[in-house]
Amino acid sequence: MSEHPVLPPESTDNESVAARLAREAKRQVAQGNLKKKKLVYLELNGCSGNIISLLNGSNPDFEYMITSMVDLLYSNSLMAAEGEQAVQRLFDLAAGDEEFILAVEGAVALKNNGMYHLVGKIGDRPVTGLEMAELLGKKATHVISVGACSVDGGPSAARPNLSQSVGLQGVLDRHIIKLPGCPVNPDWFLGTLAHLLMFGEPKLDDMNRPLMFYSTLIHDRCPRRPFFDQGIFAEKLGEPYCLFKVGCRGPVTRTDCPTRKWNDHVNWPIGASTCIGCAQFGFPDRMAPFISYDTTKE
Amino acid sequence: MARKIIINPVTRISGFLELDVTVENGVVSEARTKGMMFRGFEQMMKGRKPFDAIYLTQRICGICSTAHSVGSSLALEDALNVTMEEQGRYLRDIIHGCEFLQNHIRHFYQYSVPDYVKMPPEHPLFTSYEGTARLPERENAAIVEHYFESLAISRLAHQLLALFGGKAPHNHGVYVGGYTTPATAVKIIEAKSMLQKIRNFIVDKMIPDTYTISRYYPELFQMGKGPGNLMSCGAFNGYEALGTLYTEPLVFNGKTNETSRFNADLIMENINYSWYQGKKTYKPFETMPEPDMEKEDAYTWVKAPRYDGMAVEVGPLARLWLSGDYRNGISAMDRTIARSLEAGKVVGIISTLLDQVVPDYMVQKEWELPSSAQGAGLVETTRGTLGHWMKIEDGVISFYQIITPSAWDYSASDENSLGTAEQAVMGTTITDPEQPVELGRILRSFDPCMSCATHVSSPGQETKTIQVF
Repeated sequence: MSEHPVLPPESTDNESVAARLAREAKRQVAQGNLKKKKLVYLELNGCSGNIISLLNGSNPDFEYMITSMVDLLYSNSLMAAEGEQAVQRLFDLAAGDEEFILAVEGAVALKNNGMYHLVGKIGDRPVTGLEMAELLGKKATHVISVGACSVDGGPSAARPNLSQSVGLQGVLDRHIIKLPGCPVNPDWFLGTLAHLLMFGEPKLDDMNRPLMFYSTLIHDRCPRRPFFDQGIFAEKLGEPYCLFKVGCRGPVTRTDCPTRKWNDHVNWPIGASTCIGCAQFGFPDRMAPFISYDTTKE
Repeated sequence: MARKIIINPVTRISGFLELDVTVENGVVSEARTKGMMFRGFEQMMKGRKPFDAIYLTQRICGICSTAHSVGSSLALEDALNVTMEEQGRYLRDIIHGCEFLQNHIRHFYQYSVPDYVKMPPEHPLFTSYEGTARLPERENAAIVEHYFESLAISRLAHQLLALFGGKAPHNHGVYVGGYTTPATAVKIIEAKSMLQKIRNFIVDKMIPDTYTISRYYPELFQMGKGPGNLMSCGAFNGYEALGTLYTEPLVFNGKTNETSRFNADLIMENINYSWYQGKKTYKPFETMPEPDMEKEDAYTWVKAPRYDGMAVEVGPLARLWLSGDYRNGISAMDRTIARSLEAGKVVGIISTLLDQVVPDYMVQKEWELPSSAQGAGLVETTRGTLGHWMKIEDGVISFYQIITPSAWDYSASDENSLGTAEQAVMGTTITDPEQPVELGRILRSFDPCMSCATHVSSPGQETKTIQVF
C-alpha cells in the first residue's frame, strides 16, 4: 500500500470544518506542539444553561476538553472546591503572570453596584459578578461571551430588567468574541475554543460572531424554505409547512442550526416548532411575541 | 466557642447559594441559606403575550428548563379552558421525563460524587478538601471512570428530549395542548433504543455506585433530616387508561406521622425574612410582592412557601416515600439514594408512555386567548413541586407567580420555623471547621437549583460571631 493513499476531497461545510479543527487541536496537544492553556469559565447572572449545553458536546466532549485542550480552573457548576477556597483561585490568577482564556456566561448585574449577583465571598466580603468580570476581563488573553445573556443581556436583561443586567461588553472595553444563542450550541463554543488554541482568533463578522457558525440566515437554509417560496404556510404549530406566519424568527436569525442541528444532530427548534430568534441580538424582547396566530391576517 | 462558617459559593449546584452557620462545640447551632442572584422573572412576565411564558420561563433555569415549560403550559391550559388529550399528555410527560434523567445523572456524578470520591488530582477543576474521601482505591477508581462515562449518558438523555422537543436545554416541544410536533414511528423506535442505553447505565452503574458510596459514609444516614414533612402534588399520575404510574398527590406530616391528600389551597408564601415588601403572608394568586433590599431582618430573597403552615421537603425522596417505594429514612444519604432510584423508576415510566404514543397524531389548534382569565399549573418536576400562577388581562399577562421546588427546599425562615434545608443543617456535627465537608454533602442532597429559587441577598451585614476563614 502506498504511504500516501489518495483520499477523497475533504468536505468544506461548516460541520466538517469544525470537526477537523477539533481533531487537529487534539493532535497538536497530544504531540506537545500546543501547550494547554488555562480556561476560566465564569457563570454570572443567568440560568447556567450554557455550561449544561457544553456538557452536551460530543466531539470533543467535556472529558476531552479538560484532558487535552485546556486546564479548566474554575466553573461554579462543576468544580470540586467550594467557598473561599474556590473564589481565591480567581484572585490568584488575576494577580499572577499566567495566561488564560476567559469564557463568561450570564449577564453582568449592575444594580446596587453589582450586589444583585454574587460570585462568592472572601471572608465576609462579597465578590460581585461585576467585580470579577472587570478584574479577569482585563487580564485574559481572549474573552468569549457565551450565550445570549453574556452577549447583550439576553433574558436576564429582559424588561423591566430589575437587576439592571447588561452584556459583558457593557462593562469591558476590550475585544470580545461573541457567541449568541440561548443556550449556545456546544459546537459553537468548543469549535471557537479549538480555533483559538490552534490558529488564533477565527474570522468574525462585524458583530464579533465567528463566521464559521453565524454567517448564514436560518431562513436561507431552512428545510421548510420550499414551502415559503411557494406560499404554503402553517396556520398552527405542528404542521410541516413554512412557520413564517405563526411567528418564526428564522428569517432574521443567523446561525448554522438548519445544518448542524442540536443534541448530536437529532433535531432542532424548527423540527418541533418555530425559531424564536434566541441567537439574535435583542433576544428576547426584540424577538417577542414568539408565537402568533394572526401575523398576516386581515 | 462559637465560630461562624460562611460557604459562598456552594459550588456544584445550578445557580448561586450561600450557607452561613454558627458552630458551637462542634455542632451547628444556627443556619441560614441564602440565594445569591436576582433576575425578577415574575415581574418580567407582566405585559407579555401569554404564549411567550412557555418559552421565556424556561430561561429561569438551564438544568430544569422543561419543568417551567410544563408548568406554564398547564397554567395556560387552565386559563384557556383547554382540556389536554391523553396523547398530548403522554408525549409531554415523555419529554419532561427525559429532563429527570439528564438532571439526576448529572446531579449524582458531576455534582455529588466529588463530595465523596477522590477525583483525579491532575485536573485543577477537581482540587478541593484534602483527605475527606474514604473509598478504597478500586471502588474510587470505578466511580471516577463512571463520572466520565456518565457524560455520554446524560447527553443521551438530552438527545432523547430533543428528539421530540427540538433542542435541550430550552425546548420547543412542550406547548398548550401537550406537544408541538407529533412523534413518528421512526422517532419512537429511536427513543426506545436510546432509553435502553440510559437504563443499562442507571441500573448497572449509577444505582450500584450510589449504594457503594452509602456504605462508606454511613453517618450521612443520620444527618440532614430536616422537618420530615414530605409533599408531592402528584407525579405521572391519573392517566385515563394507565392510572397512576408514580405518586398520588399526598402530603406526609412528620410530626403526626399522618399522610393526607395534597390540597393546593393550603399553599401560602411568607416574606417575613425575605427581601420583599407587601402583605406578609399571601396565597399565590393574591399578590406579587415588590423587591426591597433595605428591609430589616431579611436575609435572602428566596421567599418562604409553606404548606398548611409547615416547611416541607419536596423532590425524589418525598415522592418515593409517598408512593411507598422507599421508606428507609429521611436523611442526606436517603435523599441521594432516592434520586438514583428515581432515575430508574422514570426510565420505566417513559418506556410505558412510549408504548402509548400514536405516531403522526396532531394535537395543535389555533388556540384562542380570552381577554381576561387566570390559571394555575402545578407539576412534579426533577427537584419537586413546581407551581405557575398566571392572570391574563386585555390579552396580555398581568400577573405571574412562580413557586419552585428549590424555593420549598431552600426557603427562608418564617416566624415559626426555619426553612427546610436550614433545619436539615441544624445540629450537624462538624468534624473539621476548616474543611466542613458535611455541610456541602447535606446541602447538595437536596439538589438545590438557585437559578430557580432566583433571588438576591444583601451580604456582609450580619456577621456577629468569629470568622473562621
